[in-house]
Amino acid sequence: MIEVRSLTIDYGTPSAAVRAVETVDFTLEQGKSLALIGPSGCGKTTILFALAGLLTPTAGRVTIDDTPVTGPRRDVALILQNAGLLPWKTVWQNANLSLLLSHDYPRRTADAVLDELGLEEVKDRFPAELSEGMKRRVGIARALSTSPTVMLMDEPLASLDTLTRERIQDLFLMLWEEHRFSLVIVTHDIAEAAFLGQKIIVLTPRPARVKARIDNPKLGSLEYRQTPEFARTVRLLREELER
Amino acid sequence: MKRVLTYVVSICVLLFLWEMASVAVNAINHAALLPGPFNALSQVVKNANTLQRNFWASAWRLILAILIALAAGVPLGLVVGREPVFDRYLSPIIYITYPIPQVALILFLFVVFGIGSATKVAMVALVLFYQILVSARGAAKNIPEEHIISVRAAGASRWQIYWHVVIPASLPDILTSVRVSIGLGIAFLYIAETNAALGNGLGGYINKHMLFQRDRAFAGIIALALLGLILYLAVDGLERILCRWKYVARRSR
Ligand SMILES: Nc1ncnc2c1ncn2[C@@H]1O[C@H](COP(=O)(O)OP(=O)(O)OP(=O)(O)O)[C@@H](O)[C@H]1O
Ligand SMILES: [Mg+2]
Repeated sequence: MIEVRSLTIDYGTPSAAVRAVETVDFTLEQGKSLALIGPSGCGKTTILFALAGLLTPTAGRVTIDDTPVTGPRRDVALILQNAGLLPWKTVWQNANLSLLLSHDYPRRTADAVLDELGLEEVKDRFPAELSEGMKRRVGIARALSTSPTVMLMDEPLASLDTLTRERIQDLFLMLWEEHRFSLVIVTHDIAEAAFLGQKIIVLTPRPARVKARIDNPKLGSLEYRQTPEFARTVRLLREELER
Repeated sequence: MKRVLTYVVSICVLLFLWEMASVAVNAINHAALLPGPFNALSQVVKNANTLQRNFWASAWRLILAILIALAAGVPLGLVVGREPVFDRYLSPIIYITYPIPQVALILFLFVVFGIGSATKVAMVALVLFYQILVSARGAAKNIPEEHIISVRAAGASRWQIYWHVVIPASLPDILTSVRVSIGLGIAFLYIAETNAALGNGLGGYINKHMLFQRDRAFAGIIALALLGLILYLAVDGLERILCRWKYVARRSR
């Protein structure tokens, strides 16, 4: 279970502190999904980095399975805003970054995941030789390669065309149902939040505070986009964002 | 194959221009001041042995100086570029000492290292050290934060961040600075070798013949150019191997 309690994060700039996140609270049970949605620059990435242990909160606390997060954890995977691939490493090396960094990861996942994501054929290519959609899939492969129990995604599909975007959203849904990790997805796309978030938290402009919480329990099938519940969630989200 | 051909063509053009210049200069001055390329080349053949001895003397000094400068400049530059504490205290020192023409220290170096090869290598290494240090520092500073974050999130240690991100990301800039260093190094090696024309070395060889046997001096210059060319090609080859990812990127565009 992920617990975030009155999370507050300031960035120290030479002149003054910039408050990016203010007293944000939420919990997420194991295996459930949560979408964070909010305007550009409000502090979404900052919240995710605190969950990933990449920065220390100014106040409040973040715990995963009752242990405070103090640094990157093996059971937590992060997919960065633009996949975060290293240009000098091949697809295989990028997907298996954790394995390269520490040799005691199980090797089995490596090739199986690449296969599952249709990347087997391009595993010796460099990122510059891939399409945007493929790059995102390599990012997903990297995250899956450690069999995480928590998956953090920072706008994983930004700047993809609508169809590719929906296809990868479908892929996320299937992977989530198959692997049953807890999923926290940051997005500024209303449809994406409604398709992937069982709970949706709408954030205010910077500093990010919780503006609204929307429950969206019916999701879980590829046809969800055509249902009235989906339409209702989308409408609610739009109202909250415009309010 | 195409690359070889372009080199052959450029060399022919260069020799032609040199011949024209030599004819013009000598006609204007009514004296054989500037030897033509064929005189110089025939001296290269005639003095092959002497030239070779001097060539190797200069070559190993230059290569050694580049290696010393790399060994000192790269680690220091990367650390200063990445670690704020080092940056704060060392960057001012670097900036204060960088603009001092290191060649001004040459007499001092002769006093310290004597007039043998050590001084010549030290002189060139000192100049190139700054060149490489400043490039490595800049390269390390300009690494996109997302690259660092992606390995940090995967649990990388500080050393692993250097090995998997900082070093490969800076390598293209470092190799560029090595290319600059070859040209710069040859110039300063020439200065050092002519200042103490002890032992072998193309600098001393050129200087010795410049007044009365100019075709030999120019044979020396050809050898020096050849040294530069060989080293450039070596760095190019090295880059193709070490930065393969850059060349694929270029191909697919
Ligand atoms: N290292 C930093 N130093 C100072 N301010 C920062 C730093 N990183 C982010 N900020 C500021 O904190 C705020 C929140 O940044 P964050 O990246 O979390 O926003 P975001 O919601 O992810 O934005 P986007 O939708 O553009 O990705 C922004 O206003 C940003 O300018
Ligand atoms: Mg962001």
